[in-house]
Amino acid sequence: MIELKNIGVQFSGKVILKDVSEMFNQGEIIGLVAPNGTGKSTLMNVIMNYINPKSGKVILNQKLEYTNKKNEVKIHQLVSMMPDQSDLYNQISGKEHLKIYSSMWSSNQKLIDRTIKELGMTSYINKHTGTYSLGMRQRLCFAMQIVSDTQVMLMDEVMNGLDPTHVELISQILVKKKSEGKTIIVASHLLENLEKYADRIFFIKNGELILVNDLSPGFEEKKITTVRVTRMTDEIKEKFSKEFPKTNIQSLANGATLIDVRGYDAEKLGSIVEFLQENQLTEFSFGKVTLNDLYSMYYQEG
Amino acid sequence: MWNILKTFFILEKSNKKNIFACIIVAVFVFGLALFVKTEDFGNEVKEKSGEYQSLASALGRFQNVDATENGNGSDLYKNLALQHQLVVRQRMAVKMNLPDLYLDTAIEVTTLRANSFDMEGFDMVANYLPSKRENQLDRMFYQYMKETGLSLESDPLSFFPFLIYLFGMLGSVWFIFMSVYSCGIMTEEFQHTSIIKGYPITFDKYVIAKCMSSMLLVSVFILELFVCSLPLIYLYGLGDSSYPIAVFNGDFAIYPIYKYLGISILYMVFISIFTILLSVILNVLLKNMYLTLFTQLFLYVLPLLFPSMMNVIPFNPFNYLNFASILNGQTLDLANPVVLNGTYGLISIGVSITLMIVAVKLFLTTGKLKKV
Amino acid sequence: MRAYFKMEFFQFMSNKKNIAIYVILLFLSCYYALKIAPEYDPIEKVDVLEIEARYLTREEFLDNVVIREGMHYLTAFAVSIFPEWNEYDKARLDAIEKNNLEEYAEATSKWYTYSDKFTFESEVLYYNPGYYTYGNSYAVMDGHYAYLSSASRYEDYTEGKSDLSVNVFEERTALQTLQRLLHSYLPLILLVSCILFTVDIVLKDRQNPTLLQGLPLSDWRKLIVKGGVSLLGSILAIIPLLVGLLIIGSQYGFGHFNLPVPNYSFSEDLFSTITMGEYLIQNLLFIVVWFFFIISLLLLVSVMLKNEFANLLVGCVFLFAEFIYFSRGIGIEWNAQWYPTSYVQVGQIISGYRNYLYVSDALSLRSGLVVMGLCTCVFLFLIFLMSNHRKFKLL
Repeated sequence: MIELKNIGVQFSGKVILKDVSEMFNQGEIIGLVAPNGTGKSTLMNVIMNYINPKSGKVILNQKLEYTNKKNEVKIHQLVSMMPDQSDLYNQISGKEHLKIYSSMWSSNQKLIDRTIKELGMTSYINKHTGTYSLGMRQRLCFAMQIVSDTQVMLMDEVMNGLDPTHVELISQILVKKKSEGKTIIVASHLLENLEKYADRIFFIKNGELILVNDLSPGFEEKKITTVRVTRMTDEIKEKFSKEFPKTNIQSLANGATLIDVRGYDAEKLGSIVEFLQENQLTEFSFGKVTLNDLYSMYYQEG
Repeated sequence: MWNILKTFFILEKSNKKNIFACIIVAVFVFGLALFVKTEDFGNEVKEKSGEYQSLASALGRFQNVDATENGNGSDLYKNLALQHQLVVRQRMAVKMNLPDLYLDTAIEVTTLRANSFDMEGFDMVANYLPSKRENQLDRMFYQYMKETGLSLESDPLSFFPFLIYLFGMLGSVWFIFMSVYSCGIMTEEFQHTSIIKGYPITFDKYVIAKCMSSMLLVSVFILELFVCSLPLIYLYGLGDSSYPIAVFNGDFAIYPIYKYLGISILYMVFISIFTILLSVILNVLLKNMYLTLFTQLFLYVLPLLFPSMMNVIPFNPFNYLNFASILNGQTLDLANPVVLNGTYGLISIGVSITLMIVAVKLFLTTGKLKKV
Repeated sequence: MRAYFKMEFFQFMSNKKNIAIYVILLFLSCYYALKIAPEYDPIEKVDVLEIEARYLTREEFLDNVVIREGMHYLTAFAVSIFPEWNEYDKARLDAIEKNNLEEYAEATSKWYTYSDKFTFESEVLYYNPGYYTYGNSYAVMDGHYAYLSSASRYEDYTEGKSDLSVNVFEERTALQTLQRLLHSYLPLILLVSCILFTVDIVLKDRQNPTLLQGLPLSDWRKLIVKGGVSLLGSILAIIPLLVGLLIIGSQYGFGHFNLPVPNYSFSEDLFSTITMGEYLIQNLLFIVVWFFFIISLLLLVSVMLKNEFANLLVGCVFLFAEFIYFSRGIGIEWNAQWYPTSYVQVGQIISGYRNYLYVSDALSLRSGLVVMGLCTCVFLFLIFLMSNHRKFKLL
């Protein structure tokens, strides 16, 4: 497990991370969600000690800290970050990349073949990476990290350039790794996908880590809490407010309108549906607030 | 350590640069053999004729006078006149194939010359004669030959004599070759920072492993020098591996060929490590392989451009990078002669290597590498 | 295409390596102008003492010699040639005393011609001792060339096309220094710079390939633009060298574009002169053709091998290959003129000195242009074929 203690980072006077303290446990997938340039990568770089934070420290397994080079090596033996796909060696094959990572972290050699199979890379793994497509390279980078088999894995934009099938495939592997007790920290913009497997999701705003559950208390619950209407004109909204004065409604920057129906029974829900149908609104759904909506609410308002 | 070495083997194996470097080493050896052939080295008749003309024009600087023992010419004039005669005799000895006479005359000439250097007016004719150092080397050589009764061999293309010539040439280009070869040693890696930054290994170990894998390739190049020269055994014979060579190691001495080769190789290994580490440090500082290369070449050329510097900083390792010229004492011919001792050179380079390793250990880390 | 050229040129100029090359060239030219040029000590100089010593010795001999039957044949030979020889030496001395440089030039020209006539192939007479340095087996050939070229140079000085001075006679002025450098290692320096400029011009894009792959330009055109930028950059390398020229000019005068440059014609063993202006223009032309050659070669190697190290090696092999096979007189045995590498000494090719060394009459500016031009065309054609191949990838 890895602990961040009062991490603060500033770049040329601008605060990127402000006094961040958090604990990531074993067997947990952490999702980091934030617009570009708000500090996701910075946080990961701090965890890897690629950036020295202005204040605070990173503690691994309650004892290891970046106090000297020897410890850095020890930590790097346990914490890895996914390589950029543009940094692959074009003149050697994917398999050789995996061999390099496996031997650098002295991990189980069998993991190489297993990972290749799991990710469906058998057909091209022996070709030079210079010939790979973006998706193939991305999968290779992911495979490299899986092969390194470290206790903590940091993945920045892991789903970049992947088709839906492979997104699903990688999600499954992530879940599997989690069950093996790994701590996985994922930054991703595929919110729906992230929602499926992440145990905890954090937003980053103004240099702070914000747990999504705290933003929307019902986010975790498995009950109908929200009616989500795709397109609702202002006119209808006004009408709605008149008809159901006690019900909260909220419009998001992504165009959707959320109707808060927490604690409503079937009858009350029925009358809302009736209203929507009367006003020729057919695209709506019942459920809870999606991560997408929260994101929109949190970052795009105003 | 073994892990990172394995990684480097995978990478070096696929690096085209190594193949081209192998090709250029082979081209160098073959080109040099061709050069030795076209320049007709070892043709004594031709060389002696040249010497004869030089002496003639040295004499031409004097008025023609009686050059006999009791004549009225100056000492230098008499000395030169005698040299002139002896060179004619040498040329004759070569033509008639009289090696003993040749050797005796050669010793006489070199002894005469050794005396002439301190005579009055020598500066006037210095251009037409070999330098004191060259003469000293010749004299050592001929005397040694006479003492041991070895026979003179003159085929410069048989295996061992050619190797001497080859390593003599390498002396001036080995550092340049190594600079070109290693100037991108780190910048190439910098294009893959996100892969290497997180390796669970310290940067100094990383650098040392990099040096080791590069040195392995360097040893392949050195081996290649011998392999490419092998055809000469078939074409021109083997030559004698213990044939003497006169060298300067703080004092004038005679080395057998194998010893000369051994010292040269030792120097080449030291210079290679030195260059690789220098490239690493300059790469990290300058982040550009060409700037690294230019800086290295500049440091190499600096003592040549300003020779007086060598007296001021005698322990500058860059003074010693041309090991062939160290071994034949070329710096003694400078306007301000410098005694550069081969052993000190090795020490100086060795100390620099240690200092650079310490610097790498203290100041450089992988984590902070930026992509270029 | 113009926008692409601008972009490439901007990148070229902001490339740290290229800036470093310009700085190094500047340093070298200043080092040369301040340290080496002042130490220039020509063998053929205006040396009154030397002339006087020779003149007086011979005059004394002529005054004292008794001409009689059966005297030593060398004495007779001396008696027959010294009077005219001394006449020229006397004229030179007088001219210097009167400070009449034109007369000096005339007498000197005649002196050189006359000297060479008897010295060449003579067993007893020698050229200026400066040629007979230790280990020089070709001193006579060097002396012969120098005497005849000096003769033709001095003859031209008498025609009054340009101002004369001792610095002009000793070839110290800026333009003459440039000419001497073109005759030695300046072309090599320029060509090495060109190699270094071109070595990464294609392969640098590998660091950000997606940025450029989509440009609406064919690979062939991109390569041509890159070559053009490199050519322009190589030509601009002359600017830092001009600084050195200005320094020399301020010390020894700039010289004049009408100054003569001796030109050797092998077939007649004769010298004629061309003007400095012509000589420099021909050099510039030839060097630019060399630039074309090297750039197209390196573009070809770049697209074939895709490795900067290989570029550097191939370029250097072409520049220095001549050292391997060149030896004096080898032109008799085989046809060096068909190898582009034989033309690397641009200044020596144009002045004909290379022919003199090879003992051949085939190496000329024209044959050079043909050979180099043909090679360049072949390289470009290959690049064209490759870059238009269906499967070709620039990076």
